[in-house]
Amino acid sequence: MSENKILFSTGNLEGLAKDIGKMTDTEGSKLKLSPDNADSGLAKLVLTLIELIRKLVEKQAMRRVDGGSLTDEEIERLGETLMKLEMKMEELKKHFNLTDRDLNINLGPLGDLM
Amino acid sequence: MIYSIIKASEEHAQLIAVLSGMHGISNADFLAVSYDDITAVVCDVPKVGMVTDRSATMDYASVVDSLFKDFTLLPVRFGSVMESDDEIRKMLQKNYKEIKNNLLKVEGKLEFGLKVFCDTLKLQARFEDNSKAEINVAATTVSGQNNSIFKDYVNKKLIEYRIEESLLSYVNSLIQKISDCCTGIKAISKFKKMLSPTNIIDALFLIDKEMTNQLIRLVKDLKTRYPDLNFILTGPWPPYNFVDITIS
Repeated sequence: MSENKILFSTGNLEGLAKDIGKMTDTEGSKLKLSPDNADSGLAKLVLTLIELIRKLVEKQAMRRVDGGSLTDEEIERLGETLMKLEMKMEELKKHFNLTDRDLNINLGPLGDLM
Repeated sequence: MIYSIIKASEEHAQLIAVLSGMHGISNADFLAVSYDDITAVVCDVPKVGMVTDRSATMDYASVVDSLFKDFTLLPVRFGSVMESDDEIRKMLQKNYKEIKNNLLKVEGKLEFGLKVFCDTLKLQARFEDNSKAEINVAATTVSGQNNSIFKDYVNKKLIEYRIEESLLSYVNSLIQKISDCCTGIKAISKFKKMLSPTNIIDALFLIDKEMTNQLIRLVKDLKTRYPDLNFILTGPWPPYNFVDITIS
């Protein structure tokens, strides 16, 4: 962005420009499939979808906990399930050598997936 | 490749003068292809091997920006290519009404972008204190006994959830405040939120040219009201985000 397009700004422009740069850098979240990495490429795609669904389930569960509609036993069971899901996910990420960042696809102007 | 559609005929002296001083991709000359009183500004591109890198898109944007100084225009998405002048003319004819409506919508108007940044860590820490206090009270009243690891896990997740919800609610109230301020300058606005952990709002405004200084003043006022936030106001831009046409 040329300087003369900035009409007003506050804060450290360089730092803010870096933030914007990170948002537009989609290199890390690209799905790179080739004959050599078909397994890990596919794993990244599948785990991204699973992680998105897991996060949605977790959010919905917290909404219910926050709403106070669950009994103590239900909260207990929910905690156990969510904890095991998260642990399983960590295991799978480790197995395929993936990080949280790898699973958070950058959707360009729409921001990050999660 | 089509750069933009402008409100002018191809015999328009000013258009001829502006186009003669510019070059498009691969240094090709610009051409004006008209139907009635609308004109597509185009340039020839090689059928194969067209480079579509950052530099090419910047060149494209700078051409659209130059045209925008003199004409009411609709920017056309970078890389929009048609086979021949005839096809372009047919496209203009077929979509004439929609193009004219959009030109009318953006006539005499400018687009501006406003990015709002905040230190979400600082903000989250504030929300976290509130959430923790609330959950501690809730935990003692609900169970009345020692928490299990699963319940502690739920509490941890609940704190994260409440922090996220508080942040979202803060951003929504900020958007509402900005929208309220914009009614005075009759802006058409669009908002995106939480694009990154720091960029909490990305706003776009389409306003009358005469309202530019008022918009700048408005953003300065916002900074006074929200000293912890950082703002970047950019523009004027061609109406990239306010053209609504599905070309047939």
